[in-house]
Amino acid sequence: MPLHTFYYHAFGLNIHSELEIPPLMESKCTSIPDVTIKRGEVSITGLDKPKKSTPFFQTCKDQLWLNVPDIARFLVRDGNSIVVEAYPGSDEQSIRLYLLGSCIGTILHQRKTLVMHGNAVRFGDQCVIFAGHSGAGKSTLAAAFHKRGHEILADDVCAIDAEGRVAPGLPQLKLWQDAARKLEIDTGELERIRLQVEKYTFPLSESVSEHLPVAAIYILSSHNRDEFEIQQIKGMQKFNPLKNNTYRMGILEGLGLKTEHLGLCSKLAGRIDLARIIRPNDGFKLQQLLELIEADLQEKGIVAA
Amino acid sequence: MSEGIFWLASYPKSGNTWTRAFIANLRHEEPNEEVDINTLHTGAIASCRGWIDEVLGFDSADLSHDEIDLLRPAIYRWHAREANDGGYHKVHDAYTYLPNGEALIPAEATAGALYIMRNPLDVAISFAHHSNCSIDQSIENMGTPDFTFCGNTRRMTNQLRQKLLSWSAHVESWADASEINRLVVRYEDMRNDSLATFTRMCSFLGLPDDEYSVQIALDNCAFDKLQQQEKEKGFSEKAPHHESFFRKGKVGDWQETLTPEQIDRIVNDHHTVMKRFGYLDGSGNPVTALPLDRVS
Repeated sequence: MPLHTFYYHAFGLNIHSELEIPPLMESKCTSIPDVTIKRGEVSITGLDKPKKSTPFFQTCKDQLWLNVPDIARFLVRDGNSIVVEAYPGSDEQSIRLYLLGSCIGTILHQRKTLVMHGNAVRFGDQCVIFAGHSGAGKSTLAAAFHKRGHEILADDVCAIDAEGRVAPGLPQLKLWQDAARKLEIDTGELERIRLQVEKYTFPLSESVSEHLPVAAIYILSSHNRDEFEIQQIKGMQKFNPLKNNTYRMGILEGLGLKTEHLGLCSKLAGRIDLARIIRPNDGFKLQQLLELIEADLQEKGIVAA
Repeated sequence: MSEGIFWLASYPKSGNTWTRAFIANLRHEEPNEEVDINTLHTGAIASCRGWIDEVLGFDSADLSHDEIDLLRPAIYRWHAREANDGGYHKVHDAYTYLPNGEALIPAEATAGALYIMRNPLDVAISFAHHSNCSIDQSIENMGTPDFTFCGNTRRMTNQLRQKLLSWSAHVESWADASEINRLVVRYEDMRNDSLATFTRMCSFLGLPDDEYSVQIALDNCAFDKLQQQEKEKGFSEKAPHHESFFRKGKVGDWQETLTPEQIDRIVNDHHTVMKRFGYLDGSGNPVTALPLDRVS
């Protein structure tokens, strides 16, 4: 039997966990949990009748089986339970990474929360999401805004509640060595996300506790030309970009939640401004990117001119 | 169930994109119009992170290059089995084996590998333009036994690390991969004897190989047409510094561009493989490409 249960609150959820998850804020609330995280046995072969099946993940209605070789197998069920079975010799740090990524993302999907693959940055009483595929520069951009005094609500996993507000996620950003250098952040003091990679955890000293409405979403991408481009996306055109930038869409499809997700996307589409920003892929040109976004936010009246 | 993946394997700057443009045109429903070079949807490159991550369900970006490589064979097996995309997948990785003895590109996931090679004397020039480096640097890279693409560990790259090895080792790794079905073609034959060479490629790849279809597709992806398209609308696969992707495409450019020292160095680094594939004559002097019947 476990000696201790850890109580956390993040993504709008009360989480009771047998595993310690340091990046999460400990919560005093020990009442009924929304989600429990337990150690236990997880099948080596996967689910009984999976809807989608690869050697690494399998999905069916309300269940995800996730197999991260040499790290752990996870079973995520019904929007309220995660069971973890570690591979011998794996480290807790690596296990936490997948717990707080694909697993918590799936819990949120199962609870019919819209989860965007993006970072949420506070602007006044609202927030703006920077979405895009891995490597698009979401965390770098969020860190740059943080340096300018903006609070960060979410990194990578961006949960949007039924009122169209972002629920604060982890009080940290994950930054690659090169991005940290660009931002003049000394990684000597930071912990690596895993010993095997040169990506670091940048802790956020202040954390936001309230949910903040999403004012705008920017989708980040790049091209091989030298100029920046910003395309405003209107009306029905908003739908596909929101769908394509949903967190772990491949998992969501197998959970049998496509119809619900469709509804969530169209509801959000009606509430937000959406634009695509294309930057030169040759060098990040962070300063210009920040100025472009700030100018656009002023034009949209999200920040004061 | 599909019967495996067809790989379009080559060292960079050896004619892979031209081959993809040809395949896209050959499969195009409207033979009277050229396929847009920015929509050559022949299949993802083997090192495409998105193609890998879609099978993982978690981010490959949180794993080291070596850790990802260990997962790649299972991912290709899954794609070969499940994804009926009919894709022809480009690959720049050399044919290598993992520390556990497994091939990175598993034979059971492979329908065939078309290996496209080009005279290293011409590759050196084109590769220098592509990489925005000097020709001497590209010669150095081509002779480096553990040369890689996207091997940076300090940032995330859109593509996975690719072990290219040296140019010679790259060629030999594929040409001698006896466990897979393969066809080796030379860029010079694709240029100089297009119809016959592309017909052989089509037969191997299970594509229509009648003269009419092959000729129309060849006309639609003629080098000047690809150049014209790039001039008009740009090419998304071009490297940022690169003036144009479809630059010269010329056979034998080395005779005008390389210095005698550069030629000597390439011949010195790669003479065994150059000899084997007809890029050196009987006396060991560099030539553009000996006729196939004179290549043993």
